[in-house]
Amino acid sequence: MAAAALTTNEIIRRDRRFGWAMTAPGLAALMLVVTGPLLLTIGVSTCDYSLLNPGCAGFVGIDNYRSAFEQAYFPESILVTVKFVVAVVAIEFLIGFTVALMLNAVTRFKNIYYPILLMPLLINPVVVAQIWRMFLHPELGIVNYLIGLAGVPKVNWLGDAGIAFWTVVMVDIWHQVSFMIILLLAGLSALPKEPYEAARMDGASTLQSFFHITLPLMRPVIAVTLLIRLIFAIKTFDLIFIMTRGGPGTATDLISYFIYRSAFYGLDIGQASAISVILLLVVLALTAWLYRYMRSLA
Amino acid sequence: MKRLLLATALALGFATSAQAQTVHILMETVPDTDYIKALLPEFKAETGIDVEIEAISYIDMHSKLVPQLTSPAGGYEAIVVDFYWVAEFTKAGWLMPLDDLIKRDNVDTSVYLPSLMNLVGKVNGTTYMLPFYNYSMGIIYRQDLLNDPKEQAAFKAKYGMDLKVPTTWDEYRKQVEFFSRDTDGDGKIDFFGTINQGQRGDCICMQWSNYLYANGGQYHDANWKATFNSDAGVKAINDFKDDIAKHGPTGAESFCFDEASAVFAQGKAYSFVTFNVLFAGFNDPANSQVVGKAGISANPGGGLNGGWGWAIPNSSQDKESAWKFIKWVESKETIKKRTLAGGAPTQAWVFDDPDVVAKRPEMGHLKTLVATAQEFPTFSYTVQMVEALGRELNLAVTGQKDPKEALDAAAEEFNKLAKKDGLQK
Repeated sequence: MAAAALTTNEIIRRDRRFGWAMTAPGLAALMLVVTGPLLLTIGVSTCDYSLLNPGCAGFVGIDNYRSAFEQAYFPESILVTVKFVVAVVAIEFLIGFTVALMLNAVTRFKNIYYPILLMPLLINPVVVAQIWRMFLHPELGIVNYLIGLAGVPKVNWLGDAGIAFWTVVMVDIWHQVSFMIILLLAGLSALPKEPYEAARMDGASTLQSFFHITLPLMRPVIAVTLLIRLIFAIKTFDLIFIMTRGGPGTATDLISYFIYRSAFYGLDIGQASAISVILLLVVLALTAWLYRYMRSLA
Repeated sequence: MKRLLLATALALGFATSAQAQTVHILMETVPDTDYIKALLPEFKAETGIDVEIEAISYIDMHSKLVPQLTSPAGGYEAIVVDFYWVAEFTKAGWLMPLDDLIKRDNVDTSVYLPSLMNLVGKVNGTTYMLPFYNYSMGIIYRQDLLNDPKEQAAFKAKYGMDLKVPTTWDEYRKQVEFFSRDTDGDGKIDFFGTINQGQRGDCICMQWSNYLYANGGQYHDANWKATFNSDAGVKAINDFKDDIAKHGPTGAESFCFDEASAVFAQGKAYSFVTFNVLFAGFNDPANSQVVGKAGISANPGGGLNGGWGWAIPNSSQDKESAWKFIKWVESKETIKKRTLAGGAPTQAWVFDDPDVVAKRPEMGHLKTLVATAQEFPTFSYTVQMVEALGRELNLAVTGQKDPKEALDAAAEEFNKLAKKDGLQK
């Protein structure tokens, strides 16, 4: 029994060495596929870099960052993105939490409703966008046909500047809401039962249990769920690219599509990288804020 | 172990030598690609060269091509080039000039329609491509309605002119108005005179160009200064808006050609201005309710020209085999077979070939359509210009911006790009 003879310090050191050994391959891979491109992007963002002549044609400092804000409709694009992210995250959270609370009470048929819930999530976003574009065809789509049966006049889902934004939000909710439900449901089912029993003994109402037990206990799970969803929402690209191309006008022009256009239509990789870095900083700031908020709860 | 190594080496050796005899081409998933795929066994039998066509959708092509073109050992021996990319690809020096090969093998390039040779063949006097297929735009309409004596009489009574294949924009717009009808009496039009392709981006740019040309407008002057923000441009936007509001289906400001052609294929419209390559699809009973009823004609004032060219990239690993393939695919025999199958050729003679005309009576109209088509401004920043113009047009058409203001904004961006490319002095 050699291990028994080891001091605590040695054990800790061994554990640490083992930990490094286990994570080294993963860390190396991450460095290669995340840190590398990230540093490259930051480098390119200070370059005059055009796809017409791939390569850094000169160091331009922060010019690409400055000119980003001078681009036509860049501020509009930021505004649309913020509106979109707030709308989808808030609505998906409300629906998701409600459904998760309801399902948490259901113990039977889990193996039926779980797959059904997961189904939209499993569909590729491009396919989701294509399907909905067909459903929402104003003349030939099934949505306008069905509401027509109820006597509602045809809705111009994607062609009306006021409606198109909410149409895209609706499709995103359809696609992503089960992500919220599943994560929150997992959190709910992991909650300890004892506080609820104690509360019931003390005569607390269901509503009181919810606000004083469920909500405080769920806070970390909620924070993580919101954070992940938020980051994904900021990156939304496929839905816009297939369904609206940012139109009508600039009503659905999200920042990710703006970056794509700078890179592949404008051929200006320097500019596109600069906007990507700006976006990264915003996401980082949000993540840091949420992380601190979570720590403050613990 | 030794044997295994030897076997591996041999296998690798064979693999590389087999590679040398394979021509890889990236192509778009369009009917003409399928027609060529079907003919490939003939090329293999003739030359022993394998051709592997990788067909993907248009939106992914550019981003997939560029890394292969910039690499010293590209994965494609031959490529197809959309007219959008011609200036970019030639300016970047990615395409191999074909003039020496053309001269060496006595290839006759005078067989091509000049409008297409200019678009996807020659650049500043050097031949970089052989024109492959055209997707020039024109008017697809319901021939059965146009030839209906009752409709003809009613049209004559209303407008004092004959109902026939339109030769002026005014005449076409009268027909559009005439055929826009409320068939179920609910006060809303449900049979459409025309269908717009108004989605932001290239969809609206392409279709609106026809409206611009039809109103006598042009994109730029000889010095590459924007001229499309003229009265003709404003009139073109107003016609476009008018058509969406009064003569077209709900939501046409978000349509691309697929949504628009679905409406036409369902028999719900008289006509629309679109790509001629869609025409063959309307005679396919699997996808169309209007089989045998559609006709096609040139857009009055000329439609928008569009096309693809065959090219050999400088990064090609086997230029000789690629050239052999291009010569074969553009040979008279192959062209005729492809056209009989429904293809959209670029060589002039095939439009008049008796066998082809017997099977496809629309060939005469198609020839005029392609020959009179006008060129979209092609320069290094075409794609970016399409984005800017597409955005402004869509803003104007959806009522978010005044037409003149929108065109002025697009013209300003056009001028900036033309200067950046050294075209505007």
